[in-house]
Amino acid sequence: MKQTYIKFPLHLIFHPFDAFWDLKADNRGRLGVAFSALALTALAMVLQKQYAGFLVNNFDPRYMNSLMDILAVVAPFFLWCVANWAVTTLMEGEGKFKEIILASGYSLVPIFLIYLPMIAASRFMVQEETSFYYLFNSIAVAWFLLLLFIGNMTVHQYSVVKTVATMALSVVVMGIIVFLGALVLSMLQQLADFFVNMYRELIYRT
Amino acid sequence: MAVKKSLLLLLGAALLLGGALPAAAGAPYESYLYNYWGDAVPAPDAYLPDKAVTGCDLGIGSFAEPSDVAVSPAGEVYILDSGNKRIVVLDREYRLRRVLESFDNNGTKDGFQGPSGIYVDGEGLVYVADTAGKRIVVLNAEGQLQRIVDNPQSDILASGFQFLPLKVTADRAGRIYTVAQGVFEGLMQFDEQGRFIGYIGTNKVRRDYREYIWRLFSTDAQRAQGVLFVPTEFSNADADYKGFLYATNIDPNSTVPIKRLNPSGEDVLKRFGYNDVRGDLIYRTSVGPSKMIDIKFIGDGMYSALDATQNRVFTYDDEGHLLYVFGGKGNQLGTLKTPVAVEKLGGDRLVLDRGRASLVVYKPTFYGAAINEAAALHYRGEDAEALGLWRKVLQLNSNFDLAYIGIGKAYLMEKNNKAALDYFKLGSDKKSYSVAYKRYRREMMKEHFGTVLTAAASAAALLAALKLAATWRGRRGRDREANLH
Repeated sequence: MKQTYIKFPLHLIFHPFDAFWDLKADNRGRLGVAFSALALTALAMVLQKQYAGFLVNNFDPRYMNSLMDILAVVAPFFLWCVANWAVTTLMEGEGKFKEIILASGYSLVPIFLIYLPMIAASRFMVQEETSFYYLFNSIAVAWFLLLLFIGNMTVHQYSVVKTVATMALSVVVMGIIVFLGALVLSMLQQLADFFVNMYRELIYRT
Repeated sequence: MAVKKSLLLLLGAALLLGGALPAAAGAPYESYLYNYWGDAVPAPDAYLPDKAVTGCDLGIGSFAEPSDVAVSPAGEVYILDSGNKRIVVLDREYRLRRVLESFDNNGTKDGFQGPSGIYVDGEGLVYVADTAGKRIVVLNAEGQLQRIVDNPQSDILASGFQFLPLKVTADRAGRIYTVAQGVFEGLMQFDEQGRFIGYIGTNKVRRDYREYIWRLFSTDAQRAQGVLFVPTEFSNADADYKGFLYATNIDPNSTVPIKRLNPSGEDVLKRFGYNDVRGDLIYRTSVGPSKMIDIKFIGDGMYSALDATQNRVFTYDDEGHLLYVFGGKGNQLGTLKTPVAVEKLGGDRLVLDRGRASLVVYKPTFYGAAINEAAALHYRGEDAEALGLWRKVLQLNSNFDLAYIGIGKAYLMEKNNKAALDYFKLGSDKKSYSVAYKRYRREMMKEHFGTVLTAAASAAALLAALKLAATWRGRRGRDREANLH
């Protein structure tokens, strides 16, 4: 338990090449860990808006909506996984969908590991020290991106260039999925409207 | 039963009518302020219209196209009645004192040909920008000619330069600054003898990248036909007691339509508020942003600017915080048709409305007077005295961020850092909050340093002891197994 939930993820963020390979080949990744990381990241985002110190908190509290914040983390995560799977399946990637979720989820570990303490620390900062807050948060994001990159490369057994290309393509595919989704939604809406109107016409006919 | 019914009816009617009766003398415009997030939030009226002075009321025939107004240090109001080519002088109570129509120019009777700007300096000298006469006429308080500034000579002026002064102001040293028609190099500056010294405070031309790219692809002939990119002209200026010039320009996209020019022409206006010093932040695109056409230095760092887009007067403190807004478009007393100039007489604010040929007098409310006084005290560094006033302001308007900041600063002076923190947070002043927090943190650390260190040291000692005990016990166990005892 301690091994899978704490030791391995911590080992992974410092030794990504070995650990991602263990995750794939030795089946050491657990979906529970990946989803826990996702949940903690969402929590960090929510807490940051609510509890980050006054000097670094530029969020208008009147527009606080924690559900949207959670959605803003969870939705892109799954969208990314689906898009990445769709792209890599066509581009001879060796990763399964589960492995993509694992790799992406484990990559999120540094985000909440740094964000959560920084939220607490930011409450004790003065203006001059807030640059550290921004620095550490940027490091967290950079670390996450690096892990995501290495995870992708290892899981799919790609070269560096191909990884970059597939990741960029995945982002494009994410946009396409959103676009198609919006299109379908709007079409369905119009279709529903059409039937509703037809029904109305019929009942008002005398 | 019938009695009951009629009573009920009466009650109902009373309620209905009661609602319809005017509650109190309200302003015909809505007062508001901009908060930290840039939203316009309602505010109490800081100034209410008191009366409108017209030429007919004074018994001298109505004003014709009045274009400027100035107040002398003695409290006389000089209205420049341009269409009638005269200056109407009123006293403190807005009663007619005298009318200046002509002056004696070296033995000949001279008059104004087409004046459009007037200014009265600290010694009571009256400066009139006589646009059609291509000159600035300086009179003393009695209306006797002091000197005439005209026909400026300089190498930097183009030959055939037409001197058409529109607005005029003068500093304590007697230097004259004028906004002249067709001059985009800045304000024209004259020394006390009336010699042209040079330009001051040129507005910068902003680069329009779309136009820039467009020009890259156009031929020379096309370029020659294109519009010229010249700096915008100033619309008005007012000298403060230190010799700094408050100037306005009407560049529609500028975020700095109000400038404070130092003697070398640099803009040194403090803009420490969280919003731009540019009048309205929210406006319809069809109407456009505020167009500042006049500015008046109030004193104690405060200044009022007149916006010709929405006919409002915006007043700021020395740090660029918006204090209050009054005025608006309309035909009622207090709303304006074509305002052209803003002035102050004591606590009153005067706005000259050319469209309705009248001078509108605004008087401060309790709220407005408290803000004026508190802002003045803050400017002089007497924050402790301002504390009570800011509290009064907050009672009337709990949305007034500056009052929270003012109270916070007063507490900061008193070294009451914790209370200051809370108020700076309410006023969304991050910079001051940081200062207060730094002090508060040091205070806390000093206070608790001993306790924390003692606790940490004893915890460390305890841990070491436990570890020592564990190893000792382990060793004894091993020793026993090895039959050493």
